[in-house]
Amino acid sequence: MIDDAKLAVLTDEELARHPFDELVAALQRTVQGLEAGNVGLEESIELYKQGLRLHAACETRLREAELTITELGRRGAAPEE
Amino acid sequence: MADQRSLWDQPEDQPEPAPASAPVRAAPRILRVTDLNRRVRTLLDADAVLADVWVEGEVSQPSFPGSGHCFFTLKDASSQLRAALFREELARAVVRPAHGMNVIIHGRVRAYEPQGTYQLYVDSITPAGAGDLHARYEALRAELAAAGLFDERHRRPIPRWPRRIGVVTSPVGAVWRDITNVLRRRYPLVELVLSPSVVQGAGAAPTLVRALQRLYAQEGIDTIILARGGGSLEDLWGFNDERVVRAVAAAPVPIIVGVGHESDTTLADFAADLRAPTPSAAAELATPDGTQLPTILDRLRDRASAALIGRAEQRRLLVDAEGRALVQLAPDIGAARQRTADLLDRGWRAVGDRLGRRRLLLEGAHDGLRTLSPFATLERGYAVARTAEGRILRDASSVAAGDPLQVVVARGTVETRVERTRADGSEDLLS
Repeated sequence: MIDDAKLAVLTDEELARHPFDELVAALQRTVQGLEAGNVGLEESIELYKQGLRLHAACETRLREAELTITELGRRGAAPEE
Repeated sequence: MADQRSLWDQPEDQPEPAPASAPVRAAPRILRVTDLNRRVRTLLDADAVLADVWVEGEVSQPSFPGSGHCFFTLKDASSQLRAALFREELARAVVRPAHGMNVIIHGRVRAYEPQGTYQLYVDSITPAGAGDLHARYEALRAELAAAGLFDERHRRPIPRWPRRIGVVTSPVGAVWRDITNVLRRRYPLVELVLSPSVVQGAGAAPTLVRALQRLYAQEGIDTIILARGGGSLEDLWGFNDERVVRAVAAAPVPIIVGVGHESDTTLADFAADLRAPTPSAAAELATPDGTQLPTILDRLRDRASAALIGRAEQRRLLVDAEGRALVQLAPDIGAARQRTADLLDRGWRAVGDRLGRRRLLLEGAHDGLRTLSPFATLERGYAVARTAEGRILRDASSVAAGDPLQVVVARGTVETRVERTRADGSEDLLS
């Protein structure tokens, strides 16, 4: 889980290393924080910038994703039919 | 084992026509043993029925030498036949040949030249009567259901955002290809961990269990998919094996079973957390729809924008409202200022008018206050006695003989000591 308090100090590279689902969850929390309306205008702007960064990180991950496949020990493998 | 027939195998020794001037009797043609056996083999190989034959019989004296193959005699009441079941076919077989077992075999009959025998080469062996398999399926289903392996309450939800998905299936063939294709298109963010296994026939059960357990030992697997393409009840039999069903039920993480086509239901399906109609469907059920993700992400970003704009708008409205409120207050300020000025004027006048009388009143009040002051009381002849700690002495019993006392009078203080104390005497002041 991403520590929201430390989001602002993470570089884009560090951000991109987090699992995709954590990035989406952090984005969701950010949006909910903005919508809750109990933060001031200045803090809202900071949250919004953070949301944009998370959105960009998610998009990059999606765009560059490539299915990785690991195969466990080949013993016992045999053709089907 | 489908040997290619070589030219070498072709019939070649056609009998030669006898010469016209032949003696009364031709010399007998003498064959070598090898040639004879080859001729028999050629004959058998050319027979369409023997090359693709179904035969029913009873297994007798099966042997399982170290080579991994199986040899047995197939017999009925009046005849018998040697049969060979090679390792690959044995592994895929629904049943392991056992003495006395009635079976239906498919295979071909060939001559074995080195020994001058012929035998049945088995490529499929099933218990005689498919009804047997169905009966075993139903019996095992009832037994495992009674043992609670299929209880709904064991079903766990499938993780919505998996990072690692374990897959048990055959690494070759359409199923694995289908699964990887679906995930490449749908959610390539996931890591697939393939634990390969044989999936064909009853012989698949031990390797299926091993493949599942290899995955169970892995760290960080979120979901497991157990998959196989469609087939006959015999083909799918490994997924009805009690060991496999129990291994599925014991999965430490949610497991999706997708075996065969929609109509194929194996016992492993019942023990799964989720049953998928096909292997591709299993891959879909295991992952979020990545093609929807850009839309979902954009919607989140739009919500953030809307919230920020809303906040700024709210702030602007607030400022506007405060401005209007100030404008509305302005006339009141003027009036208030006027009222204040009036009041001040009237006040000053009243003060001027009443100042003399006030001063007289104040002096009278001052005298009144003076009579209440302790100094006035002392002036009237009373004294205040204080203990060494400075407490005012109100109760004679709170001091003892010898205690120091300060007696404050109107002018000055008397330092003294208690001679003795009495409980009575305060009423004397009144006499």
